Amino acid sequence: MALAMHVHPLDKHLRVKRLPTIFCSGCGIGIALSAMLRALDKRISEGSVNPNKVLWVSGIGCSGRAVLYLNYDVAHVLHGRAIPFAIGAVLANPELKAVVLGGDGDIAAIGGNHLIHAAKRNFDMVVVMITNFIYAMTGGQVAPTTPYGVYTTTTPAGNPEYPLNVIKLVGALNANYVARASVTTPHLIEQYFYKALAMRGFRFIEVVATCPEMFGRHIGLRDSVEMFSELKKRVVYRHRPSLEEAMIDWEKGIVIGEFVERNNPSFIELLRGVKK
Amino acid sequence: MFSVGGVVSRSNNKFRVNVIVDRCKECGLCIFICPTKVLVRSGVMNRYGYYPPDPVFIDKCVGCKLCEYVCPDFAIFIEKV
Repeated sequence: MALAMHVHPLDKHLRVKRLPTIFCSGCGIGIALSAMLRALDKRISEGSVNPNKVLWVSGIGCSGRAVLYLNYDVAHVLHGRAIPFAIGAVLANPELKAVVLGGDGDIAAIGGNHLIHAAKRNFDMVVVMITNFIYAMTGGQVAPTTPYGVYTTTTPAGNPEYPLNVIKLVGALNANYVARASVTTPHLIEQYFYKALAMRGFRFIEVVATCPEMFGRHIGLRDSVEMFSELKKRVVYRHRPSLEEAMIDWEKGIVIGEFVERNNPSFIELLRGVKK
Repeated sequence: MFSVGGVVSRSNNKFRVNVIVDRCKECGLCIFICPTKVLVRSGVMNRYGYYPPDPVFIDKCVGCKLCEYVCPDFAIFIEKV
């Protein structure tokens, strides 16, 4: 065989000149991003998603930087305001498939109210929240999703609060699809994102990610392989678990699976009066 | 083994493992996850000072693509020959 150029199968979805990414060595965001791109690639090759109608929106944070490597229409907006931006874009052009990518600090903490109201309206968008349990970019402060008793730089005696369970929050509202995956199971991220792309309404996927640099270093998991294998031990897969089972606890375990699947009419359909 | 455009490739008669050297950040996840232990850390630095993996024991590769799925930096991929 002649010396042909070998290119990565996802290179057509990436702005290759910007690589390598700025993420730390062993960061879980890249794993989640490549799994999502694989699912999108499958949808595009099937013909059910038009690549010119895909919009990626992100806020501030480590995960917010991820969309800047994508060869699509992307927007990098104010902190926590990725969901309102996507709502405006979809209202102006309902053909768009909006994907909001953000971290737990961006979507659950600062954009928490926007998340609640977008889920309440069942607005047409996919929200992927990458949970690393901490505000990693600003130096490892405590986040609403930090597990109980874990050391962070602002809680040196251990976190005294119980974490916010975003799956239970969004599942209690009118969202059409609520699932949780982990970067230790990239095939599940791909499967859930593939499924979510074809649905209507508000679709929420939480991806539990590794953060060896900021979360792991204070709890003795500074090495990326060590952190990955520790997270792998704690992740429990259940087939169609109920919302009560949506436990996210560093000691007892993290339950992953598809929690909610509904087929309610979405906001755009209700606005157009298709379903009375 | 040959290298074209910063890609190190080795193949057995079924699969070819390609490593894009300059994208690697030496997290070691591919070496950890490989079920048949094809990859080892190479002794040659890339331009950012990391040691990328090298598919030395390529004869053992079964083409499961776990390394491609787990790589956070789009640096390794498997092709069928």
